[in-house]
Amino acid sequence: MASDVRTQKDTVRPGETPLVPPSPPAPEELAATGEAAKGAPVVGIPGRTGAERTRAIVVYALLFGIALLYFVPFLWTLSTSLKTLPETAQFSLLPKHPSLDAYRDVFTQFNFKRYAANSLALATIVAVLNVFFCALAGYAFARLKFPGREVLFIAVLATLMVPDQLRLVPIFVKFTQWGLMGHYHAYVFVKLAAAAQLFLFRQYFMTIPKDLEEAAKLDGAGYFKTFWKVMLPLAGPAIAAVIILEFEGTWNDFFWPLVIFNAAPDHNTIPVGIFSFVSEHRTLWPQLTAGSVIAIAPIALLYVFFQRYFVAGVASAGVKG
Amino acid sequence: MTGEVDLAATTTAARTNETSIGGERWREALVGYAFIAVPMLVYAVLFFYPILYAVYISRYDWGVFGKIESRGWGNYSELAHDERFRIAIKNGLKFTVAFTILSMALGLFVAVVVNNALRFRGFFRSAYYFPSISGSAAITAIALYILSADGLFNKITGLNRAWFGESSTALWAIVGLNSWTTSGTVMLFYLAYLQAIPRDVYEAAAIDGAGAWRTFWKVTFPLLKPGHFFVSTLLVIGGLKMFDQAFIASGGTGGPNNSTLVPVLYLYRTAFADVKFGLAAAVGLTLMVLMLVLTLIQRFTFGRGESA
Repeated sequence: MASDVRTQKDTVRPGETPLVPPSPPAPEELAATGEAAKGAPVVGIPGRTGAERTRAIVVYALLFGIALLYFVPFLWTLSTSLKTLPETAQFSLLPKHPSLDAYRDVFTQFNFKRYAANSLALATIVAVLNVFFCALAGYAFARLKFPGREVLFIAVLATLMVPDQLRLVPIFVKFTQWGLMGHYHAYVFVKLAAAAQLFLFRQYFMTIPKDLEEAAKLDGAGYFKTFWKVMLPLAGPAIAAVIILEFEGTWNDFFWPLVIFNAAPDHNTIPVGIFSFVSEHRTLWPQLTAGSVIAIAPIALLYVFFQRYFVAGVASAGVKG
Repeated sequence: MTGEVDLAATTTAARTNETSIGGERWREALVGYAFIAVPMLVYAVLFFYPILYAVYISRYDWGVFGKIESRGWGNYSELAHDERFRIAIKNGLKFTVAFTILSMALGLFVAVVVNNALRFRGFFRSAYYFPSISGSAAITAIALYILSADGLFNKITGLNRAWFGESSTALWAIVGLNSWTTSGTVMLFYLAYLQAIPRDVYEAAAIDGAGAWRTFWKVTFPLLKPGHFFVSTLLVIGGLKMFDQAFIASGGTGGPNNSTLVPVLYLYRTAFADVKFGLAAAVGLTLMVLMLVLTLIQRFTFGRGESA
């Protein structure tokens, strides 16, 4: 019995598969760490090693070529951000006298200190609140029985079909009437509980064996305590995925901050800050690229350490529509 | 006799059990509603109500201080006759078609190359996906820099154009930009679909003496049909919703000369530059219907091909 639970737990722990909503069958493999990719469809009859070697050379030449093309814009941006304006006209790959002046400028003169603080705070708050509310509701949809559960869940998924553009005008009008425009909490409200994340938590909780909850229930734990002490600690991978996806989504979000903080420029986040910078001083390239680096670097850093959770987000794009 | 007693005992036991479960069931339902309350409130207020409210607003002449007068379906007929709306739809379709085709071609190409790597596959996969996770504002700023008249792109290619500054190239510059950033996502989807193709199909092709090029077009490409459908649906909808890049590159105007005025940017300007909220709500609803219709058409055409 005990070993039974353990094996089931082990199947949960890797955490890749349950993170992925079951849209079409194939993208489920997306979340695999890349090892799944090893069943390579190597074409060729055994013995054609010469041909295979040529093939390998072509493949790796292409791989490095594409990588170069894909990264040149980023490297060029990084390099420019360390130059001075006159130096940008010289097209040298590396700055001759690397300096952080551009970064100092954007932080002090162009208000990026404020933008960065706003972005960081909003992204963190949105990520944490999404974890809490989506996990709680996802748990209810996965485990608790209540009349109308299926219909309500379809309603949750239906929200994924409503484009932001349709919501823009009615939400703007209502928020203006309610005096919410230009407030941080208005933005948090808009991003409070993403249906895609609720879905992700529900799918994840459905894969966790029921024995553990039942043990907790026998110990007299209530529903919330069972959720908080038993289920949530088991949902590590799902929590990590939601935190990363919501942090990234909020950090990069341009549309809603543009609309909601229009009346309160000091509430703006980095992406909107970049837009105002572009509109006013487009050709201050070192500062512009420094701003871009500040926008991209934190996400790049997260990506290096938590790639597979980003990939889980791609898979759920199937639901995001 | 004993059987009867047993029966009686079981029914009483069942009954007591039932009542306690009944109370418990009631409690469980209440807890369930409480747990979903916050998200449901958000969805009601920020998704379902806005759809109805958009319909309501779209039937009025609606300004900064609320409704001015009823227009019936006037906003919709105004749209039908608005030259700028027609331009926006045309730009949106042009962008969407080009962006969908280019992203799919690029993403599929990269996926096939990565899929053929025997080593470092995971590394290259991650590297190519990187542009997809960078924020739209930063990426657009980078594109403005690299595609500027004295930028790196002109320097390398020997061309001399302000790509975002001319009405003949601005939209295509955004097509290129978005196809580049989206190709990583497309690659991930295609990689998953590629791995679903059974290996013996390739072995059969090899025995028939088919080369790599022929194998790709005769075997791989047709077998990826479900992938083509899935990816193109996502891209078409994504393409029609494009806003950030056009807004940032044109400084919010949709210029030069309306060349980057895509539908959502038209909506935004109708609401916030012209302060015609009724008309803007009508644009939103029209766009949503357009997206639904396109998705259905796509499902219909591809679905039929698949069953044949």
